[in-house]
Formats: sequence, C-alpha cells, structure tokens
Amino acid sequence: MAKIIVVTSGKGGVGKTTSAAAIATGLALRGKKTVVIDFDVGLRNLDLIMGCERRVVYDLVNVIQGEAGLNQALIRDKRVDNLHILPASQTRDKDALTSEGVEKILDMLGKDFDYIICDSPAGIERGAQLAMYFADEAVVVTNPEVSSVRDSDRILGLLGSKTRRAERNQDPVKEHLLITRYNPSRVDDGDMLNLDDIQEILAIDLLGLIPESEAVLRASNQGIPVTHDAKSDAGQAYTDTVSRLLGEDVPLRFHEFQKKGLLSRMFGGGRR
Amino acid sequence: MSLNVDRASMAFSFKGGMLPMTVMELTSADPERIREQLAGKLSQSPAFFQHTPVVLSVEKLDEPHLALERICAVCRAHKLLPVAVRGGTDPVKQSAWALGLGWFPPQEIKSRNLESVAAVSEAPVDKAEIPVGAASGGRIYRGTVRSGQQVSAQEGDLVVIGAVNAGAEVLAAGSVHVYGALRGRALAGIHGDHQAGIFCRELHAELLSVAGNYKRLEDIDPRLLGQSVQVQLSDDQLSIASLA
Ligand SMILES: Nc1ncnc2c1ncn2[C@@H]1O[C@H](COP(=O)(O)OP(=O)(O)O)[C@@H](O)[C@H]1O
Ligand SMILES: [Mg+2]
Repeated sequence: MAKIIVVTSGKGGVGKTTSAAAIATGLALRGKKTVVIDFDVGLRNLDLIMGCERRVVYDLVNVIQGEAGLNQALIRDKRVDNLHILPASQTRDKDALTSEGVEKILDMLGKDFDYIICDSPAGIERGAQLAMYFADEAVVVTNPEVSSVRDSDRILGLLGSKTRRAERNQDPVKEHLLITRYNPSRVDDGDMLNLDDIQEILAIDLLGLIPESEAVLRASNQGIPVTHDAKSDAGQAYTDTVSRLLGEDVPLRFHEFQKKGLLSRMFGGGRR
Repeated sequence: MSLNVDRASMAFSFKGGMLPMTVMELTSADPERIREQLAGKLSQSPAFFQHTPVVLSVEKLDEPHLALERICAVCRAHKLLPVAVRGGTDPVKQSAWALGLGWFPPQEIKSRNLESVAAVSEAPVDKAEIPVGAASGGRIYRGTVRSGQQVSAQEGDLVVIGAVNAGAEVLAAGSVHVYGALRGRALAGIHGDHQAGIFCRELHAELLSVAGNYKRLEDIDPRLLGQSVQVQLSDDQLSIASLA
C-alpha cells in the first residue's frame, strides 16, 4: 500500500505546490514509484511547475465522474521514470470532488505506487479537507511570518480531528514541519520569525528548511522542479528534505546567514 | 434628557480603574543605599525611568519612622515619581499624607492564593499525581491546543499540559491551568465562579476572563508578558501577578 502524504498549509502562496512537485520529484529520483495529485480544482498549477501543462487531456474530476480511466489521466513525467502527475481540472466546479471519488482513486493508485503526494489547495474548506482526509502523513508548509504560522497551527488542529485516521481512532497522521522561503538575513534583522520560534509554537518535528531562492522562480518558469537543480540551495534543501522523509538523519543547512567570503565575492560564486 | 444635560455639564466623573503600577518594595530604609541601587539600575535600563509612577512599599521594613521625604527626593532625582506609600505604621501614613502622597494598607495575602501558587509551581508530570480539579469533574488535556480549537471543562478545573496557541480558546467552570505558553484566550469561572483563576507558565494571552471580567492583550501590562502568572478577581477587577 502506498503512503499518502498531503502537502498543506492553510495559507496560500507559501510554497505548497513548489514543495509537492519538489518532494515528489525527489522521491522518484530515489527510486520510489510516486504520483503527485493536484487537488486545487479551478486553480491548477502543479502541471505548470512540473512542466507538463501541454500534455493534459483528462484530469482528476474526469476520473471521478467516470469520463476517463485513471491511466488515461495520469501523465508520465518526462525526466524521471517513476513519477506520474494527476492534474486538476481548470474548468470544473470545486464541488465535483467527492469523498467517495477521491477514496476510490487513492485506493487504485495505492496498488501501483509507493508514494501518493497530494497538493492541497489553500484554505480550510472542503477542498483542503478532502486533500488531507485520507493522508497517512502531512507536510505542513510554513513561511517565517506570523500569519502563516497561525494558519499552519489551524491546519494541524484539523489534521488531528478531520481526517480518516482521527475519525477511526487510528494512529494519528504523522505531521512534519517544512519551513519555506526562509531568509536568514531578514530573520537576523527581526523582519521574520526565526526557526526556533516557529518550532516552539507549532511543536512538531522539523522535516526541512528551504531558503528563499531565485532558483525556485527559475525552476517554476522553466517547468522543471527545483530538485533537479542540484547546484542550487533550494534544490539541495529539498533533496535533504526527501532524505529525512525516507528516515535518514541529515543535518540542517541554509538556516544561518552566511556572509559572502572575499573569494566568492570576487568570483561571483556562493548562493545562486 | 435632563440626565444628559447634567452629564454634559459635569467637570469630571469617577471611574474605577486598575492601572499597571510598579511597586518599589523597600528592603532598606537608608536613602543612600537606595540612591546607589537606583543609579546602577538607571544606567542599565534608562527607558524604564521616564517619570514612572511608583508605589513605595514599606511592608518589609520594620521601622516606625522613615526618612520618607529624602527617599522620595532620591526617587525623583532618578526620574521615578512616588505616588503613594503602601504599608507601614501610623506615623508613616501621616508623613505620606503630609508629602501629598496616597497611602494604601498593607497587601493582604490570601491563603487561597498561596495554595494555588503551590499547586502551580509543582507542575504534575504524571497523571496520577494531579491534585487539582480532576476529582470534581475537571478535565486534563494533553498536547497543544491549536488555533481554531476550543477545549472546555463544564465542571471543575481545566488542566492543559501543553501550550494554548493564538486563536485557540480554553474554558472552565473552575480554574484554567496551562502548563505551557498561553497565547490564546482563557476563560475561567464561565458559570460565574468569582473564586476561579487562570494560571500559566508563559503569559501571551489574547484574552483573560474570570467570571466575565476580562482583559485583552492590549490591557495587560507588557512587563508581565512572557512571565509565569496567576490571574484572579479582586474587587471585580482582574489582577495578574507574577509567580516568579
Ligand atoms: N523557496 C522559495 N524561494 C523563492 N520563492 C518561492 C519559494 N517557494 C515558493 N516560492 C514562490 O512563491 C510563490 C507561491 O508558491 P506556490 O508553490 O505556488 O505556493 P502555494 O501552492 O502554497 O500557493 C511562487 O511564485 C513560487 O515561485
Ligand atoms: Mg498551490
């Protein structure tokens, strides 16, 4: 049976889709059969980040409504063998997602894949609740700002009560904290919350820390998940994150402000 | 109608109020020693000494007469403004009045408060050891109470072993005890129990309420924030005291 992981946050624009794409890519690169599902019906953009928007024929809603088979809707990733994408519908109404429909699709995917990554829409409404409902694990994406931390806290409350595992009194959803868009120099200046403050408030294990990085913007414009950019700080940070998700012990990087050394300043190296 | 007219022509009205006030608890009556210590403090945190009103508490002193005028002068020289004296003998009271200061009776320390303090400072770790409320229908909650969640005890006390985050709400018929940071809203005595209190390890509460008397974060003396405190009603006003 596949492990179902929801990437969620409450707040929008914090890096859920970026993270879902990067983590799914990272897992596939490690040889895991992985599918990433876009639950953001009406605002789909996972396909853009994954660079497969021109190959979308059928989507999640088509499958739920019986208009297409699952295999017709799944898109095979061009770069990594074990990776598939199940896109969301751009045109359908959000109510087209039903709990039974989602469960059926997850059950089918569960037989073939090792990991199912669910990219949640923002908010705490139906769409977000459906994306998390069947999850075994959750990656809670948080930016170092008060409103984002507050929304993540709210989502953690829902994970503890509004999921299948909670309702059936099974082991709780395993919760991971992923801090993204972390800018150590702005944290040092006091413009942003620091790592310790965020961890203290949310009180869950830290899975990873992704620095604010131009590489992410570049990656999303090119439609190549940033994990492939092995030279970039964000790419490396997502690779570390995936290793930790697989149970490996990897030291934290990119959380401290590095003053550029004389050499890197002279030769323009350092952070990309 | 006539009432409104009267009110408009009134020069003032009396309002009950609880203002945050620094109490300067004297342990020496010697103006020179007070001066020395003040000089040291002033250089450490000059921001505090901005004509800050203080109440001189002489409860701990065992002296029938005090050089009150000189002590006040030392305070003013360091930009502290004595507004009243608390405790002391009759002559102390008289000289306070003569200097234009108010006088407060010594602070009563209620035995009830002391008991509560004892219960808080020995935070129970084991369920079996928990001394409060649980027996009388209270509730013990383990874990973080998160934004959007509400945890309540309709009878007895509520004990939270964890933090109460911003946007969360904890309520109890009796007292609310939070063995962690209190960042959300805490309401004790929700059925009107005036004896109930709120106790927490780290005060950042959005709202504190005992039997319907409340304080918002904005009303809380910033110096108490982050501290371990007890909150209780005295004369229908919420009073917050540090447990440290
Ligand atoms: N680590 C990062 N550094 C810089 N920009 C980032 C980073 N993570 C995300 N972004 C940018 O933030 C925006 C929102 O990201 P997205 O993944 O779509 O968030 P969400 O899915 O939570 O709405 C995008 O423009 C994305 O490029
Ligand atoms: Mg998104």
